[in-house]
Amino acid sequence: MTKSFTWLQVDPADWRGKIGQLRNDGFTFFDFLTGVDRENVEGKQMCEVVVHLAKEDLSDSHFLYTHVHNELASITDLMPAAQWHERECAEMFGIQFIGGSASGESTKSLLRHESLSLPPLRKTTVLAARVLTPWPGGAEPQIKEDGRKVGNASRRRQLPPGVPENWLKQ
Amino acid sequence: MKHSFIALIEDKCTSCMLCVRECPAWCISLDSHTIDVTEEGARRPRKVNVLDSFEIDYSLCMYCGVCIDVCPFDALAWDEHRALVTTNREDMLLGIVELGPSGSS
Amino acid sequence: MAVTRYALTSDPSVSVEVVSASLACCTLEVQAALNSGALIQVPESDAGPSVIVIAGTVTDALVPSVIELIHAHPGSKVMSFGACATSGGPYWDSPPVSKGIDQFVEVAAYVAGCPPRPDAFIQAIQELLSKRVS
Repeated sequence: MTKSFTWLQVDPADWRGKIGQLRNDGFTFFDFLTGVDRENVEGKQMCEVVVHLAKEDLSDSHFLYTHVHNELASITDLMPAAQWHERECAEMFGIQFIGGSASGESTKSLLRHESLSLPPLRKTTVLAARVLTPWPGGAEPQIKEDGRKVGNASRRRQLPPGVPENWLKQ
Repeated sequence: MKHSFIALIEDKCTSCMLCVRECPAWCISLDSHTIDVTEEGARRPRKVNVLDSFEIDYSLCMYCGVCIDVCPFDALAWDEHRALVTTNREDMLLGIVELGPSGSS
Repeated sequence: MAVTRYALTSDPSVSVEVVSASLACCTLEVQAALNSGALIQVPESDAGPSVIVIAGTVTDALVPSVIELIHAHPGSKVMSFGACATSGGPYWDSPPVSKGIDQFVEVAAYVAGCPPRPDAFIQAIQELLSKRVS
């Protein structure tokens, strides 16, 4: 049983240093590393990277998080188990993990098709199917599904969720 | 109650479009028009939405029940009467009549 | 992928070979149906129809394998079990998921649901059998 959780925000520059220090203090159990798209952190497009490290007997654990744009130092030499997680995080959130052992064949996309260049879990990535498929929710009693207005429709046609207003039209 | 079908109680539907917009699979489509209903003693006619068509595409529906949850008039409800097996994908598009609750037909 | 011959418990004279392509969670419902008692396992033979059950999400990367499986069983009926195999289902907007196996193979029976209930599988088998045998 984990008795306590400590959340700690660290600067990207201290990422490796802090994790190395925790490892030396006995936090040797690497649970997971993942990304969270925070979209807007103090006006900047930022992604959060979270790592969970615990003591081997799970008596104490630390969640470390940092805000990065798209680059962070790899921790695979400190925590070899992080390689799979960094690889997934790179694929899904478009974060490059600099250094470490995840290179060459081991950085190949796991799930994503090679031709898709945008990381699917970033909120700025629009799913094309949601733009190309006519959204049935666009209709109203006074507005038909194809956008035709009947009578004196005063309201604007609504947009489907997840599609920016002028996507690909600028 | 088996959650094996989502039925439409046509009389309760006000064509508010909430279910259509909330459906994560975009599998509901609804067509309606507005008419003026004049009631005795009323100063001006009342606008009433009339449901023209309502379709659920069961080839896409994931039975999540969001449409049932969001419906403010309980016009959609879980129903148990059928497992839908078809030889044509188009046959999975069910309209107002086929969507009627099991007791009605 | 498992190939086994089953007969309806209610009518053991008719048997069907079930090739189950287990691609995702829907396959659990297929397994539940196969072990529900409505179907009984019978010895392998060449007689009677064969059904290939595509149960689960078919990603674009899996499409060649699915086509290969279907070609490996010529004359088999294809059952599209669940929303994913039929249309992409909850993954309809996901780029790596195919939007229905009927784009590349002929489908004999579609079963709606996410997942469909095990009795829907039995019903689909019954319908396929009655068409073939009657």
